[in-house]
Amino acid sequence: MKFVVSSSELLSHLQAISRAISTKSQLPVLDCFLIELSGNTLSMTASDLEVTMTTTLETDETVEEGRVAFPSKMLLEILKKLPEQPLTFVVDSNTLGVDIQSERGKYNFVGQPADDYPNLPQVEEDKASSMRVPASLLLTGITKTLFATADDELRPVMNGILFECSPENLTFVASDSHKLVRYQRLDAKTEFEASFILPKKPASLLKNVLPREDGDVQVEFDNKNAFFTLPNYRLVCRLVEGNYPTYNAVIPQDNPNRAVVDRVDLANTLGRVSIFSSQSSNLVKLHYSSDEVMVSAQDLDFSVSAFEKLRCQYDGDEMEIGFKSSFLADILENIDSSNIIIEMSDPSRAAIVLPFDKNDFEDELMLLMPMMINA
Amino acid sequence: MRTEEELEADKRQIVHIDLDTFFVSVERLQNSSLLGKPVIVGGLSDRGVVSACSYEARHFGVHSAMPIRMARQLCPHAVFIRGDMDTYSRYSNVVTDIIAEAVPVYEKASIDEHYLDLTGMDRYFGTYQFTRELRQKIMRESGLPISFGLSVNKTVSKIATGEAKSGPERELYVQREQVKPFLNPLSIRKIPMLGPKTFNLLRNMGVAKIETLSQLPPDIMERVLGKNGIDLWRKANGIDPSPVERYYERKSIGSEQTFESDTTDLRQLNEWLVRMTEKLAFELRTRNKLTACVVVKIRYSDFDTHTIQKRIAYTAFDHVLIQEAKDLLQRLYTRRVLVRLLGVRFTHLVSGSQQLSLFEDRPEQVQLYQAMDRIRKRFGGDAVGRACF
Repeated sequence: MKFVVSSSELLSHLQAISRAISTKSQLPVLDCFLIELSGNTLSMTASDLEVTMTTTLETDETVEEGRVAFPSKMLLEILKKLPEQPLTFVVDSNTLGVDIQSERGKYNFVGQPADDYPNLPQVEEDKASSMRVPASLLLTGITKTLFATADDELRPVMNGILFECSPENLTFVASDSHKLVRYQRLDAKTEFEASFILPKKPASLLKNVLPREDGDVQVEFDNKNAFFTLPNYRLVCRLVEGNYPTYNAVIPQDNPNRAVVDRVDLANTLGRVSIFSSQSSNLVKLHYSSDEVMVSAQDLDFSVSAFEKLRCQYDGDEMEIGFKSSFLADILENIDSSNIIIEMSDPSRAAIVLPFDKNDFEDELMLLMPMMINA
Repeated sequence: MRTEEELEADKRQIVHIDLDTFFVSVERLQNSSLLGKPVIVGGLSDRGVVSACSYEARHFGVHSAMPIRMARQLCPHAVFIRGDMDTYSRYSNVVTDIIAEAVPVYEKASIDEHYLDLTGMDRYFGTYQFTRELRQKIMRESGLPISFGLSVNKTVSKIATGEAKSGPERELYVQREQVKPFLNPLSIRKIPMLGPKTFNLLRNMGVAKIETLSQLPPDIMERVLGKNGIDLWRKANGIDPSPVERYYERKSIGSEQTFESDTTDLRQLNEWLVRMTEKLAFELRTRNKLTACVVVKIRYSDFDTHTIQKRIAYTAFDHVLIQEAKDLLQRLYTRRVLVRLLGVRFTHLVSGSQQLSLFEDRPEQVQLYQAMDRIRKRFGGDAVGRACF
């Protein structure tokens, strides 16, 4: 087996999929990239058994087809240090010895038998659903929700993004039970109703490769696995099993208190005031009165405190509500609109954060659960 | 050598001042007919224990923490008083106020003892003279007898107070160069924080006097008693760098209940557990604290005592804590033997407010706690509580 490939192109493809490789892999062969050559197409695979990512590349001067596993660390290190140049790979199919010929020299190492590499799960056609969505839409959906996923070993369903497709819209939901994000796209529809929970790791892998891709992504899923086929990449992952909590039930419906605030202003204020919040609880209080919100924090242990007043449009009763400042900062950072709407009912119910400027094709909603302020 | 230097380097002047038989003294102040009689303060039921007793009662072998029933047998003619914590803490505060007026740095270590840091004050009055005058002033203004020990650190001062109580002067000044000669002949029992278990262990090792303890190699102490061993060894050498702190944070809160009669009734045990947990959770919320560890303690009628603990996510909510406490009790109560005492304790406290959860905490529940807490704050801790079934 022999092929010639550009060093930088190979590196960029391998780096994109290398994140799938786990630092503590369960099989030695999972520390490798699986390299397959068929015709002029070179396909590369990385996996940790849960997530598998494959990418393809066109090559020149190919001789013979074949499969072999290359140690990932060594290959990435050498590629990173090489200036851009064509590289010739020659693999002896009997001994699995690999030669990389560069402009100035030759590097050789031994590959692993490709047959040791675990097989990819296949789509179960009879149970599978499939849809096509633009790559940019998928990217936005993941970026908007990924930050809100949980890190909870006891409740694995919360450690992923819920995808819900229906004839009306495509919904992305993530929550760590303190904050919740629901992002709906009205311009992506399916004929059927179905849902799956995409774990964190594949979601962040997709977040990394999606910006490089144009066009549509084919999404297929059955009850165990999901398959994302991009023009140059393919990602297969095991889904989180279990039922996502009924998130719609926790979205408060009747919220008489409504504030419109400048997002960046509030974020900057929060950044300053939260320095003075108690280090263990991170509590900041927002006191709303007519046309003004006062953001305050204090740490009794070190007797420090701070407050700032901000102009805002406020309709409702005067009220005070407490939040964990880091959560509120996350929310403010992940919303695009320059002004935001905060809707509240009372200090023990979740506050709803909405963008002020809305599009016709998307609906974005963030929920933040307050902290209990002892009266 | 190192220890000598450390002892030498400690140029502090620390006073431990301790009210004599505090509860009894307060009772005598209110009722002078009790003077000169053996007085025993403690729970009056047969199950109660002695919380304080006068010196006259001690002659009969009565000591605190002894069951009242035994005290009755030893000293049947004593006057038994139930005691009133509110009155005692009022008198205790009177003493604290007098001290606060005279001394810049003090620590209220318990209801009847204080530590004072007089370092630097000797230049003007001499600390011994100053403390004697302070003692006279306290006795004059509050009417309560009090003893003190003055030395270089908290441990030595406290031991000195203990020794002072047996003398007529009721005060003892242990100067720096006197520390070792003072400590050496004393029993290791006198070291504060050395409990009966450690005492037995050390006695079995042949250690009876503080001198022997101080001469043991510290690594042996560490091997036998762990980190505490080093602390004990340093105390035996008269070294205790702990400062006199005005305020210190409580690391845990807890509550215990000895039953009227020993019981095996799991329902009754659970009922007590719920009641105690509820009260403690209320205390957590009032102090703006959260706990991350629940400890349940059980003492069987044969005084066999067991505890079990569990780490949980930070919380101050009754329903979470009650559930955890009940689960722990279920696991802990394995012997089908009568239970004498049940206790709950929350440790790993941090100050802060509770982050509410979207899926678990219903707003109604949060409002319920807030409403209950408001009622308790207005009408007292027992005003409202859960019904137990």
